[in-house]
Amino acid sequence: MSQHIHAKTKSRNKRPTRGILAGLFVASVGLLTTTGVYAALSGAATGSEAVSSGTLNLTLSPDVGVGFSNFTNKMAPGDTDNVFVNLNNTGTLASAAGMTLWVAGTPSNALTNGSATGEGLNVKATQCSVAWTLATGVCSGTTTPILASTQVSAMNTAGTAVSLSNVPALAAATGQVAHVEVTLGLTGTETSTNGVAPSPTVQGLSTTLAYTFTEQQRLGTATNQ
Amino acid sequence: MRTRILSRTAAAVAVLLAAGLAVLTPAAASTMAGGVASGVAGGVASGVATGAEAISTGTWMATASVTSMTFTANTDQLSTVSNTGTIALSAISYKVTVSNPASGTPTFTLATCAVAWVSGKCSGGAGTQVGGTLAKNSTTTVTSTQVPPLNGAVYLEVQPAAVTASVTVTLGTSITSPAQLRTGVKTSQ
Repeated sequence: MSQHIHAKTKSRNKRPTRGILAGLFVASVGLLTTTGVYAALSGAATGSEAVSSGTLNLTLSPDVGVGFSNFTNKMAPGDTDNVFVNLNNTGTLASAAGMTLWVAGTPSNALTNGSATGEGLNVKATQCSVAWTLATGVCSGTTTPILASTQVSAMNTAGTAVSLSNVPALAAATGQVAHVEVTLGLTGTETSTNGVAPSPTVQGLSTTLAYTFTEQQRLGTATNQ
Repeated sequence: MRTRILSRTAAAVAVLLAAGLAVLTPAAASTMAGGVASGVAGGVASGVATGAEAISTGTWMATASVTSMTFTANTDQLSTVSNTGTIALSAISYKVTVSNPASGTPTFTLATCAVAWVSGKCSGGAGTQVGGTLAKNSTTTVTSTQVPPLNGAVYLEVQPAAVTASVTVTLGTSITSPAQLRTGVKTSQ
C-alpha cells in the first residue's frame, strides 16, 4: 500500500516537467513550421543588370628634372627651389574642376607651423601648356598661375588645403596631364645678434615636405534607360 | 532515465530553435547589405597624388672676439669679427655704445680690414672706415659691406681720439635677413 502511494506521488511530480518540455517542443515545431510556411509563401522575381564602376586616379611624376627630391643646399631667404612635375589623371573618370593642395612638414617647426610670425617656407605653383625647360626654368608655351605664393603654415593640414585655380588640363577628360612648376621659397625677416639667432627662428632647421594634391570626381550623372 | 529524457528533449528544442533562427537570419543580413551599398553610392571619390621634398635652411650670424674695450689713452684696439653662420653675407651691422667719461670729449671711429691689422696698418693702408665719428655717451649702429666670409673673419679696429679719462666702448654685431644676406639663388632640379 505504502509502495502504491509512493509511486502515485512520483507520477504526480513528473507531470509538470513533462508538461513544460512538451510545451517547448510544440513551440519549437511551431516556430519551424511557421518559418517553413513563410518560406513557402514567399514570391521571388529577379532581374539582372551589369554595371562597372570607374576609377579616379591622380599620379605625380617628374616633368623634367628629378621632380620632388631633396634640396641639398642650405636655403636662405630669397632662394627658390623649382621642381617640375606632371599631374596626370590616369583614371577612367573625369575629375571635377578644381584641385586642392596641402603641404605638411615633418618635423613640424618654424618653417611650416607659423611659430615665427611672418616667416617660413612658401609655395607657388605655375602650370605650363607644354613641358618645362629644365635648364632655364622657362615655359615655352603658355603659363597659367595656379597657386600664388602661399605660406606653408597656412596650408599644412588637410583641413587647410588650398584650392588651386585654373587647372583646365585636369578638369576635363581622363588622360590629361598638367605640367606644373612648384616653387619653394623661404621668407625670413629676422636679425641675429652677437652670433645668436632670435627665438623662434627659421635658421638652421630641416624638414621634409609632403605635397598632397587631391582631385574630386566629376559630378554624378543620372541615367534613365 | 528521467535525466536522459530531459537532456534529449532540451537538445531537440535547441536544435529546433537554432534552425528557426538560421532560416530568419538571411532576411536580416540582406537588409544590412542594402544599407552599405547605399552609403557608397552617395559618396564622392577623390584622387590623391603625393610628393616629398627635404629642405634645410642656413644660418646668418657673426661674433666679435672682443665686445668691450676700455680706453684711457688714444691707442687703437682690435676685435676680430667671425662669420659663424652658413650663409654668405652682403653686409653686417655693428652696434657701438660709447660711455660717458668723467671728463673730456672723446670720439671714436671704426675701420675694417680683410686681413689682420699690423702696427695700425691694414696691408699698409688705413683700412675701410665704417660709419662716421662716434661721440661719447651714444649708441650708434653702423653698417659695413666688408663682411666676414664663410668660415672666415674681418678685422675691426676702434680708433680713439681726445681720450682724457677712462671711457668704454661696447661692440655688438647684427645681421638682418634678407637685406644683409647674399643674393637669392634660383635652383631648378
